[in-house]
Amino acid sequence: MSDHILVIDDDDALRLLYEHDLGRSGYLVDTASCASEAVERFSEGNYDLAIVDIEMPGTDGLELLGQLREMSPHTRLVINSAYSSYKADFNSWLADGYIVKSSDLEPLKSKIKELLVKSDRRK
Amino acid sequence: MHSESTITKPLVNDETLWTALEALGLGLFILDSEGYLRRYNDVASRVFGIDKDNGWGEQHISSIDSIMSLHLTEKVRPILDGAERFCQHGVTCTNASGMYQILDLACVPVALDNGHGTVLGVIRDISEAPAGNTTVSDSSEELRILSTVAASLSSSCELEQILEVILTGATASQGLGFNRAFLFLYDQDTNCLNGHLAIGPASAEEAGHIWQELEARDLSLGELLEVEKRDSAARTSSVNSLIKDMKLDLKAGSLISEACRKGMWINLETVADIDSMTLSFVDRLGTRKMALVPMISKGNLRGLLAADCAITGRPISNDSVQLLQILANQAAVAMERSRLYEEQIARASQLEDMNRLLGESQDHIIKIEKMSIIGELTAAIAHELRNPLAVIGGFANMMLKSEATDEQREYLNIIASETTRSESVLAEVLDFHEASKCDRRQIDFAELIKKNLGLIKGRLRKSDVEIALSLSPQPMTLRGNFDQLSHAFYQFFKLVAEDLIPPGRAEIRTEQKDNFAAMFIRLEVAEQDRERTIKTMKQIFSDNKASQRLTILVAGETIRYHGGNCGILSDGSAVPSLFVELPLARENTGV
Repeated sequence: MSDHILVIDDDDALRLLYEHDLGRSGYLVDTASCASEAVERFSEGNYDLAIVDIEMPGTDGLELLGQLREMSPHTRLVINSAYSSYKADFNSWLADGYIVKSSDLEPLKSKIKELLVKSDRRK
Repeated sequence: MHSESTITKPLVNDETLWTALEALGLGLFILDSEGYLRRYNDVASRVFGIDKDNGWGEQHISSIDSIMSLHLTEKVRPILDGAERFCQHGVTCTNASGMYQILDLACVPVALDNGHGTVLGVIRDISEAPAGNTTVSDSSEELRILSTVAASLSSSCELEQILEVILTGATASQGLGFNRAFLFLYDQDTNCLNGHLAIGPASAEEAGHIWQELEARDLSLGELLEVEKRDSAARTSSVNSLIKDMKLDLKAGSLISEACRKGMWINLETVADIDSMTLSFVDRLGTRKMALVPMISKGNLRGLLAADCAITGRPISNDSVQLLQILANQAAVAMERSRLYEEQIARASQLEDMNRLLGESQDHIIKIEKMSIIGELTAAIAHELRNPLAVIGGFANMMLKSEATDEQREYLNIIASETTRSESVLAEVLDFHEASKCDRRQIDFAELIKKNLGLIKGRLRKSDVEIALSLSPQPMTLRGNFDQLSHAFYQFFKLVAEDLIPPGRAEIRTEQKDNFAAMFIRLEVAEQDRERTIKTMKQIFSDNKASQRLTILVAGETIRYHGGNCGILSDGSAVPSLFVELPLARENTGV
């Protein structure tokens, strides 16, 4: 059974890119354009991993991390941001991974793979 | 040959006149019409410093002039030519024996019994009259001297010039008339008087030269002081060498230290019982007849002025020492003024430097602010560009993996590589911006631990936990965010105090390991609690973030963010130790 991933980003084109590319890599991908939509999706489905953008309108990604961690402690959380500076923010340390946005999706996919393998071991 | 005068001249062979003048203690001499010394009495002999029994009787008046610079030859000539008389008061000179003298001099025409005209000279030695007579004219003269010296002192703030003026005022014949003056400056740190400057002739011979030179220049005291002030830097005095290495310790009791303490002058000539320390002090200056006056300003001792009449042998009166004290007081005030002036100059210079630095800092801050605004703007643009670049490059990469013609593949490769190039430029811009924002400062590792242990003290006591602290004597400096690291250390200590060992004991030890500062917490727990403690530790420090406590998770991430590490360490003890290590600052590692 494919791992279930939620992509949370307010950029339509990026969501589309991640949905297609990760889908091609064999993951089951859902998307959310804001924090409230992400919470809604989380309450409906059981996600193995969530990719979270930080700078979004309304509730930002860092605040969202806490909510998602509380809702589903076993879901792996990866921050995917255009900013590297949030690494110094305590709240960002709730995430299991931090990837700076790039046209090269390989680092993101490697991190996803690494975290999901660890999750599988624990199951 | 001289011409005869029409004046009725007294006969010099009238012994009654000669005897009467001698009875007044006057020096008498007779010159013939050729200017030869025909007769002189004992007083004149002593004044001229000549030996009556050694052929001096045949000497020409010019011989005396060449020694004493009295210029008698030129003064006698008009009398032989018919002038009525010649009188001069207070002529200074040094005689053939090197004796300094101040003379009143008069010459009148007389007739010899053979009818030839000649000159009778009358001399009165006034140099032995004590200085500081209390007549109105003398007092007026003293006032003139002191006011001249004061005027000269007030026109200078240079310490060395002031000191030269003081000593010149004390020694000039137009001034207080002492022969030599010595200045000792007080060193508060050592409570000693140190020889600083001296003025005056080293010998009678040198005195003769100096005084003749001064007389030839015919300077008033004011002019002399100005000359001294101007030439002080180039001028050296041989008596200087006498005192340069002299030092008098005021801690030990002596007449001088007592005088300095009480601010009282001493006339050693009038003191019967002089202590050995004072004696050895003045003996080095070559005389025991000396005036010593302390220089005091605002109640503080500044120095000591010593003066003597070693060359002329003139007695020192208490009046003259009092005058010297007045001069010394003026000098002390001038020295204090000079010190304050120097302080003001130094402060003004400091202020100038600070002002310059402030100006530079302001320029620097303005520059940094400008750079900061440009940096923020650049960073904002760079972040905004990251999303579209990620989309463009991402889709290009994705399409490259799908079926595409060679031509399409070539174009997609170009898009992907150009996107990557743009992203790397953005990354460089953003890295630079982040590095410039980094708020890191030096942190003392020991201080970090002690501060946070102090904060947890109450909890330790409440939990009945005893901490033994053993800090490395080697200072270890880190670089980082003190508040963030404090928070992390506080959480580790709180964990120990509340969860791991209570009640029990922990030993906290620090050491330098390579380029890291390390802290180890060794736990001592009761046997029945060991299993629980080990389980808790393993759970807290597992790599599953979901099972970690948020506070310790954050503390661990803080340590890792600072380039360090933390965790548990099995070192053979019954319970594993907790460790935290952080990289030392570069200046601490010598890198």
